[in-house]
Amino acid sequence: MRVIENPRLRAILRYGIPFVLIPALVALSAIVFEGQRYLIISLGIAVLALLLFMTGFEKRNIGARRMVITAIMTALAVFGRFIPLFKPITAICVMTAIYLGAEAGFFCGSLSVLISNIWFGQGPWTPFQMLGFGLIGLIAGYLSRVLLKSNLLLLLYGVIAGVAYSFLMDVWTVLWYAGGFDWKLYTAALLSALPFTALYAVSNVVFLLILRKPVGNKLNRIKIKYGV
Amino acid sequence: MRFEQLNPFTVAVYYLCVLGIIMFSMNPLLLCIALLTSVLSAVIGGTADKKAHLFSLAVFLIAAVLNPLFVHKGMTPLFFLNDNPITLEATVYGLCAAGMLTAALYRLRDLSKVMTSDRVLYLFGRFSPQIALLLSMAIRYTALLRVRWRKISDSQRALGLFDDGNLIDAVRGRARVLSILITWTLENGIVTAESMESRGYGTGRRTSYAVYRVHKYDAVLMIVCILLTALSAVGIYFSKAEFYPVLSMNLLNPWGIAGAAAFTVLSVLPLIINGKEAIRWRWLLSKI
Amino acid sequence: MALVTVKNLSYTYPDPNGRGGACSSRIVSDKDGVHSDDRHRALSDINLSIECGEFITLMGATGSGKSTLLRLFKPELRQNGELEGEILLSVGKATLSHRTSVSGDSLLAGSGSPLVLRTFPQRGYLRKGSLGAVDITEAVSSMVGYVAQDLEEQIVTDKVWHELAFTLENLGMRRQDIARRVAEIASYFGIDRWMERDTATLSGGEKQLLNLAAVMIADPELLLLDEPTAQLDPIAATRLIETVYRLNRETGVTVLLCEHRCEELFPLSDRIVILDGGRVAFDDTPRKVAQMIGRDSDYSAFLPTAARLFHLVTRSAQINYAIPQSPLTHVSGDSLLAGSGSPSVTARRLPNGEHLYQREPEIPLSVREGQRFVGSLQIKETASDHADPPLTEEALTLKNIRFRYERRGADILRDLDLTVYRGEVFALLGANGAGKSTAAAVAAGLRKPYAGTVKLFGKSLKDYKNGTLYKENLSLLPQDAESVFLCETVGEELKGCDTVMQNLPFDLSPLYDRHPYDISGGERQLVALCKALSTKPRLLIMDEPSKGLDANRKALLLEVIRRLQHDGVTILLITHDVEFAALCADRCALFAQGRIAAVDRTDRFMTDNRFYTTAASRITRRFVDGAYTVALAAERFSTDGGAV
Repeated sequence: MRVIENPRLRAILRYGIPFVLIPALVALSAIVFEGQRYLIISLGIAVLALLLFMTGFEKRNIGARRMVITAIMTALAVFGRFIPLFKPITAICVMTAIYLGAEAGFFCGSLSVLISNIWFGQGPWTPFQMLGFGLIGLIAGYLSRVLLKSNLLLLLYGVIAGVAYSFLMDVWTVLWYAGGFDWKLYTAALLSALPFTALYAVSNVVFLLILRKPVGNKLNRIKIKYGV
Repeated sequence: MRFEQLNPFTVAVYYLCVLGIIMFSMNPLLLCIALLTSVLSAVIGGTADKKAHLFSLAVFLIAAVLNPLFVHKGMTPLFFLNDNPITLEATVYGLCAAGMLTAALYRLRDLSKVMTSDRVLYLFGRFSPQIALLLSMAIRYTALLRVRWRKISDSQRALGLFDDGNLIDAVRGRARVLSILITWTLENGIVTAESMESRGYGTGRRTSYAVYRVHKYDAVLMIVCILLTALSAVGIYFSKAEFYPVLSMNLLNPWGIAGAAAFTVLSVLPLIINGKEAIRWRWLLSKI
Repeated sequence: MALVTVKNLSYTYPDPNGRGGACSSRIVSDKDGVHSDDRHRALSDINLSIECGEFITLMGATGSGKSTLLRLFKPELRQNGELEGEILLSVGKATLSHRTSVSGDSLLAGSGSPLVLRTFPQRGYLRKGSLGAVDITEAVSSMVGYVAQDLEEQIVTDKVWHELAFTLENLGMRRQDIARRVAEIASYFGIDRWMERDTATLSGGEKQLLNLAAVMIADPELLLLDEPTAQLDPIAATRLIETVYRLNRETGVTVLLCEHRCEELFPLSDRIVILDGGRVAFDDTPRKVAQMIGRDSDYSAFLPTAARLFHLVTRSAQINYAIPQSPLTHVSGDSLLAGSGSPSVTARRLPNGEHLYQREPEIPLSVREGQRFVGSLQIKETASDHADPPLTEEALTLKNIRFRYERRGADILRDLDLTVYRGEVFALLGANGAGKSTAAAVAAGLRKPYAGTVKLFGKSLKDYKNGTLYKENLSLLPQDAESVFLCETVGEELKGCDTVMQNLPFDLSPLYDRHPYDISGGERQLVALCKALSTKPRLLIMDEPSKGLDANRKALLLEVIRRLQHDGVTILLITHDVEFAALCADRCALFAQGRIAAVDRTDRFMTDNRFYTTAASRITRRFVDGAYTVALAAERFSTDGGAV
């Protein structure tokens, strides 16, 4: 799905973000803020990274059918976030990614966060979460061949995704709270979040185990039926 | 025009400005103002109920205590806890951080109340019509899934296939419902796809339509917002607020005071706009 | 020039498991399916011509190929079937031909006849400067509008205004033009009051109106509607048809409509086309079609009540006044008496070889015409007041039920009292949204009322412990059959239902290998019914079982209900289909405002109601009592001598 229609703007963003904007931000943080304002810098980088990934999708149109399936999977992920404690959002993103490709996985992850935050509350964490889940989907999409073959690797991916996401979000918590990075606070945050991280990793595994076959079959059938 | 009725872009810019200053200033004076005005806006605007206020209070207390407990930088120990010094600097920093968190949470709650799905869609529609459409479809499906979840669990229950008796049955029952839900929605999605195709989706370049308009008022407000923010930022730049190793503050210089004043106006801007509107209505009514 | 010309069109689906109703209707009888030798040939040898501004109703049983034909006019919806013959669409100022030789289906001609583009219409939404290169699909998609039967699934976006704008966004229209068109169409359809609402919160009728508006907003010249009212209640259905009719008259849009709802459509349509087994069986004005279809014809189910009554009464008269030898010959107006128009002329050949021309009374199509016709008849006195059936044992009792969904919401059920007796078929009638389904959910124990008691077979629902309520006691056939399908084949789905199915008048075994979503909606409903019956319930609650079914399927369902009743199953029927309730219910109740407004034996209920009753009752009500079905009405009237 081509996110930005204007080709020149797309080119500017594609090359400008990694080679100009992000280095500029880092330089800004080093020179002007004297290494103090990590949060604003990280937020800026997160938004730019999201933009960069989105401009990376070149194909003009993914077609109505793919669009519908992606929208349904995104809605399912949103719906899953309302389940208390056990959240199938990662599992759904991963399934979407390995059956429908990296692009669908990325949008399923990032947009489901954006939508569910309409109810859970938008905040500066939204870009980080969008980036986190988007990446979980995107990487799963690139690894789809491997993940489709091996059940064990798929579950492992679920665990890694869960832990990595937690670590990333804790970095952000510490940055917000302390204004800078502090190992002690980070360890404290990690420790206090440990039960959640564990729950998160476990629910990823559980949902991947439960959903892998039935949802995989359904998606396969739908792909044939829709002709995508 | 009430504040909430402004163009979503204006509203977003406003909150970006306010939240930006709250979250990145770490200036005790501004944070005091921020905390007071956010609570005031929440009370007048009615965006927070009793539970929300209590929650904010808890966040404030926990955040205030956490920093001195873990961070032992600073030159002025107040007392020792388990051989660790609790310093004045860390305590003040903790209070500031707590104020920042609480004020930001209040503002974010306001923001979430204002940023309904159609406003989020509008903002993304400006950026990319394709994403706006995907978001819109997903939001519709979210509502649809909720309705169907209920229908499916009803019919499964009536077939005697869904039991809440014990945990395993409950989980198994829910897994059934989820499975049916996914099939139902995916299989019938083809009708939606056909409806899109038969209404010309994918044949050419899409435009994006929105019900929101940009008025002159919006532009004026946006400029006011940005000017006030800039003034606040200058104030922050000129007022020194360092916590470690010793507290060293220089908040009440002319620039600092000007910045604080600008930030106060910025913080209560929605209240001013809505107040003006209320007065105008009263005046109109008395004329009628 | 005709808007659409179809010449010698045949269409074949690639495999028997493909989409489309044509190949999936063999379980009931071969009559409504296609011929067994060419099973998945959906259409054969169709010739049809549609003039600009016509309002045409396309009828036919499930699987007769109506949908297939309709979809062929919309190239975006084409499937990988084989098309022979020619479809010529001349929309706008362009002519698009859709013709293929033998295999493959393409929009552009496969055999040398290119797309004719005379002048392209200069409309706002076609970008300038692209005259030659305009995508054909884009052109057709804005010229041909298509509305399907699903209400919810056709909606794409989350807000009403966005749904309207979506069509124009796809055409790349500028924002101010979209604003204008959206405002226009919203005012025309009267949806301006709910423009800001979420599409998920709309009622069924509102959803379909929105779907229609969202198609009409592109200003198509040909409007295709595939059973648009199948999922609607009668009030919403009538409103939709009236809107389509109004569009046809006021904007001149050509309408091609597939429907089972003959009652409203016969009086409105310019032409009726009836398909049977993929062939055109009838194609003429409504009155001519109504005349050609005789009393015993297989097609009489397509006729409105007034016309069926006419056939029953006049034919029996002619049998009584036996006209010897030759059967009646209908002669079309232009060959015999040019321009004789609607009063049909019957030529009867007398034994001496001469022709006797007689004016038959005009065949009535609407209730009003039906009343005029009945008024000219003689009333036969048949004293046949049935005794009240003995109703003693209570099966289901609802007493003073109060229910609401949200603590602060309004009551949906307000002091509802309802008693269903053992062995009867009880129909709960009422408009959509009146709370009938909620009442059913409360009766089935799925929702807990905050006041009042529900008793099943003399025992409170609460006293059915450990799920015994749903085993051998009560079962609910949900409105959406989709909500019961878990497995990947029908066979797995029906495991454990064998004993139940032996007793039912249909055989689902040919479908065992198919996916539940690859069979037709009517078949899905039968599978769901088997599942609901597999727990051997004593009370079966059926929520809108006749929704979206054609006449044959309704007859089948009627047979199922009779058998179940014979086996001692008590049935609570939740329906808005008055005609269906009249055929199968022992007692009927009118549900309104959260409680029951009237409950009575079916004959009295139908006779005493003035508006909410069957068409037959509305036709005959002023003359006789108790003639609430066509068959009953036909017994009460006679002509005095064949011709009037």
